[in-house]
Amino acid sequence: MSNVDRRQFLKLVGAGGVGAGAGFMLAESIKHPVEYLIPYPIPPEEFSPGIATWYNSVCGMCPAGCGISVRTREGRAKKIEGNPLHPVNQGRLCALGQAGLQTLYNPDRLTGPMLQSGERGSEEFIQTTWEESLATVAHRLAAARDGGKNIYLLSEGVRGHLAMLLERFMDGLGSEHLMHYDFAHPHALYAANQRLFGEHTLPYYDIRNTRYLLSFGADYLSNWLSPVHHSLGFGHSRQGTDLDRGRFVQIEAKMSLSGAAADEWIPARPGSEGILALGLAHQILAGGAYTGSDFDDWNAALAGYSAESVAERTGVAAKTIVRLASEFMKAEPGLAIGGGAVDNHSNAVDTLVAVNLLNYLVGNIGKPGGIVFNSDPVVGGPANNRQANFIAMQQLAEQARHGAIDVLIVNNTNPVFTLPHASGFREALASIPMIVSLSSFMDETTTMADVVLPSHSYLESWGDDMPQPGLGFPVAAISQPVVSPLYNTRATGDIILDLAGKLGMKDSMPWDSMEACLKDGWRQIYERSSPDASDFDTFWRDVLVSGVWGEDIHRQDTVVVDKSVIDNIDVAEPEFSGDSEQYPFFLHPYMSTAMYDGRGANLPWMQELPDPMTSIVYGSWVEMNPATAQQLGLRDGDLVSISSEYGSLEAPVVIFPAIMPEVIAMPIGQGHSAFGRYARDRGTNPLQILAPLTATTSGSLATHATRVSLAATGRRAAPVQTGGDTRQLGRNIVQFTGDDSSAGGHSANLNSIPIVVKTT
Amino acid sequence: MNFIDRFMASWRKYRKPGYYEEFDYAWTMTVDLDRCTGCGACVTACQAENNIPIVGEKELGRGREMQWIRIERYWEGEYPNAKLSFIPMLCQQCDAAPCETVCPVSATYHNQDGLNAQIYNRCIGTRSCAVYCPYEVRYFNYYDHHWDAPLEQQLNPDVTVREKGVMEKCTFCVQRIRQAKDHAKDDGRRRVKDGEVQPACVQTCPSEALTFGDRKDANSVVAKKMNDPRAYHVLEETNTLPSVVYLKKVRANAD
Amino acid sequence: MSVSIVHTLRVLRPAAMIALVALTGLVVGFYVNATFFPGTSPEQPINFSHRIHAGENQIPCMYCHVQARRSISAGVPSVNKCMGCHAEVATDSPQIRLLASYFETKEPIPWIKVHDLPDFVHFTHKRHVQADIECQTCHGPVETMDVVSREAPVKMGLCLDCHRKNEVEHGTDCWTCHK
Repeated sequence: MSNVDRRQFLKLVGAGGVGAGAGFMLAESIKHPVEYLIPYPIPPEEFSPGIATWYNSVCGMCPAGCGISVRTREGRAKKIEGNPLHPVNQGRLCALGQAGLQTLYNPDRLTGPMLQSGERGSEEFIQTTWEESLATVAHRLAAARDGGKNIYLLSEGVRGHLAMLLERFMDGLGSEHLMHYDFAHPHALYAANQRLFGEHTLPYYDIRNTRYLLSFGADYLSNWLSPVHHSLGFGHSRQGTDLDRGRFVQIEAKMSLSGAAADEWIPARPGSEGILALGLAHQILAGGAYTGSDFDDWNAALAGYSAESVAERTGVAAKTIVRLASEFMKAEPGLAIGGGAVDNHSNAVDTLVAVNLLNYLVGNIGKPGGIVFNSDPVVGGPANNRQANFIAMQQLAEQARHGAIDVLIVNNTNPVFTLPHASGFREALASIPMIVSLSSFMDETTTMADVVLPSHSYLESWGDDMPQPGLGFPVAAISQPVVSPLYNTRATGDIILDLAGKLGMKDSMPWDSMEACLKDGWRQIYERSSPDASDFDTFWRDVLVSGVWGEDIHRQDTVVVDKSVIDNIDVAEPEFSGDSEQYPFFLHPYMSTAMYDGRGANLPWMQELPDPMTSIVYGSWVEMNPATAQQLGLRDGDLVSISSEYGSLEAPVVIFPAIMPEVIAMPIGQGHSAFGRYARDRGTNPLQILAPLTATTSGSLATHATRVSLAATGRRAAPVQTGGDTRQLGRNIVQFTGDDSSAGGHSANLNSIPIVVKTT
Repeated sequence: MNFIDRFMASWRKYRKPGYYEEFDYAWTMTVDLDRCTGCGACVTACQAENNIPIVGEKELGRGREMQWIRIERYWEGEYPNAKLSFIPMLCQQCDAAPCETVCPVSATYHNQDGLNAQIYNRCIGTRSCAVYCPYEVRYFNYYDHHWDAPLEQQLNPDVTVREKGVMEKCTFCVQRIRQAKDHAKDDGRRRVKDGEVQPACVQTCPSEALTFGDRKDANSVVAKKMNDPRAYHVLEETNTLPSVVYLKKVRANAD
Repeated sequence: MSVSIVHTLRVLRPAAMIALVALTGLVVGFYVNATFFPGTSPEQPINFSHRIHAGENQIPCMYCHVQARRSISAGVPSVNKCMGCHAEVATDSPQIRLLASYFETKEPIPWIKVHDLPDFVHFTHKRHVQADIECQTCHGPVETMDVVSREAPVKMGLCLDCHRKNEVEHGTDCWTCHK
């Protein structure tokens, strides 16, 4: 190659080099990536690679207390299923429960203790150690205790031994200010049960054995009390027995998931549901279903609730009232429940008393298919007595503003998100010198904290639970860690025990760990239950394996309603904030399975689970009746501004066929300003603009008592919707049959499904 | 026999009458629409079990949803008589599946258990099957999906993570069926017992609307449910002979 | 005069030559990588020799890979298991001291996987071991190797040939092995 000059030579060398490099890279890139085989230094006893290990525990996603079985492989949690042995959910689980894995493996979990380094709310924190942060907090608590200053502990609703620990901890600090705060706590239902039955507890609602369910606003299949248990009961009542198929009637202003499942959905004017219930009671008395000796008292109390007058006040036709009463009376048995919107009007307690007395009048208290009372939980007293209502939360804010709170400890509850702006809660926090948060996530309330002591997720902690409402017999379950902790976090119980130790409370709380505390406490359950197990260790292991413990004890009581209660039975007209001229619409904020009270918003599975009624994912919207939309000239996807006396927000319109024309509905759960990448800055939070109106007697926030106005913004922001047409268009995808299965008219008889394919 | 001959022989085998009678099992799901509440627990259970990716708001807005089982909702009537019905829709595992005949590379085929199988690493992403499916239950991976760490620690090791450019769909949780058969073999049994295997959706259904089993076993729960006069197939007129059987929703006669 | 092919080639000769050299370089680079940097017999954190253990000392495979007969994974022995013998045996060897240091610090040993199947393959050791398939069928003569390398071509053909030969029930159904 004599004719290769210098330039050419360099080119050739360059090309060869580039080619060789490319070849090397190519070979490297098609090689299998390096994978490792990493054995345990000392494997746990139950561990085998490639074989799943299941642990029974308790779901921590909502207060229902379902039992779970968690499948783990190679030390990682893979799947949560219901624990088949647990009587609440019997192996089943809802969508939110399934998504519990994403709280454990959430990329936005807090990984270790932190100190606020910027302004409150700035989310600027510096990492610290447990020793240092716990010492700081303990020092501060000791100073407050000794200086006679106020210490508040605001926790999510906890039960079992953790609740007991919190009690003792606050006792040791000489503080009475232990409050549980759950947005969805049914305060009015407790108050109503107290008034009518003299019991400040939740009874067991036996949907399984009822043949006729009259639900006043309770979305019992989606989020009311114990949705999985109710769903099991619903399925069984519908198609699980040889008896007549159970019938379900839903009375509410906006169709909920339970309303869609019902055989009949009846819209009633917001807040008038209790009047309707008394109208039904009036009919039941007239129909002769009630034969008690105090018949005359009842008759006198309900005299003003004739079908005609009730029809006028509720907007439900008189003949419907008469029919419902007669169906309910004849059902064997019928059950009436109330919740959701009904629990959240100014007259909620009156309303729920009215709903409950329907059960009383047809005599299904303490009977299968009716209401069954629960005995006290096996550990501690009734769990609800610490629940803070809206008035208590406002008092907390008031105390804070006056500088009367020195330290506030917040355990995994997010009032800054769930309380309306009008409560001034967030601003009040600014006046508290020291806020400690035990949350696993940087939620809105935790952004205000000075010290963050992040707790384990429920899948990493020890605990126990006595489900509320119970099932008519005592049930207790143990929650055990299913994976080792991912981060430098600690279990809530262990944090409290550590602080207690530092503050010299060893006498009342002698345990080194939550596990030791539990074992000690369960020894009492072992002793009271005269079990088959020969010794406590066997008993303990048995309970851990099955995940649940129960006693076959049922209360046998007869309820007699006092004359003074009967004489005062009445349902006041609901109060609303804002006059009907300026604010023509009732705002109906509602919870969903996926978001619950907003806690589902940081779970990508829950963000991507389409809302069942509208198929919307990721975002907020406002539902309105087609007639309302037409009147205002609005189309699906138009962005509207919604204003109350207390603020305004924007959301896109979704035209919804089953909502009263004067009501607009918004889902709760989005509109977070913090809480991780999946939740932050997405949608709007309707709770922000609620009026600070409370229900009489129960003092809970009347979330449905706010009137609003609507104004088009001229912009569009269609929410993301999955799924196709909302109508069948003659495709017969969902097919129907009549009540009587012999009625004929079915197109297919699958006896004839050929297993053999015909060739053509 | 060379490859082509073997391929054609097995291809023809599937189309011969009587072939399906030789199935070991005929896995079937029944869906009682009178029990279904539309709660969506099945959807999330499936996401968790089958490593179904988080698609994101933008892609969902383009109709690229990824849910092997979804809840369809249908409205009827107008206010105040509007009624809403839900129906869980998933791969119907048709005996005469239109998707199988169009795949140019046989990435989808019928197996001896009566399942409509999808082999991801054989799929070349023509998407013909999705076009032919009358139930619209096949989903295409437009991208390689990503799990924000440490969410990937939840991924089920018994199910693969699908890559960009392949079609995927409900498998009736074939990994659970495989495992149940394995257990049966360990116990020295020839067959899987009724109720021994449940896909994730059936397992979790809170109102017990879904049941699963082998319809060749006349004593199985599904075989009994198929005899219910309420039983029907969705889009029966397409003659796809689905293995998912729906039980009609009961409309109570008001008044 | 029309442009002849010869003329065109002549004009393009320098470019063609560069391309040829680059292509040669590509091939050479590829083989250099494959020969000198094979991913199939990686260097392990401890120079464990299967030849000494399984060959010379005749320790059965499933003494260490104890899960193979009951799980989908054969598993690698825990450090604890290694120390079961090496608390006594060859304690002076530098490699065993390395092992002991892992044990003392309770650190797992990051072994590199040699026989790694793609994620979409479902393979269960249990069924194959119970069917008396020799480990060497897929893993090669491991008992002769100081450093384990992937010798048998563990590809779909190997699985199918064996399934056909042994008339495995549904052995050629895709869903038997693909997941």
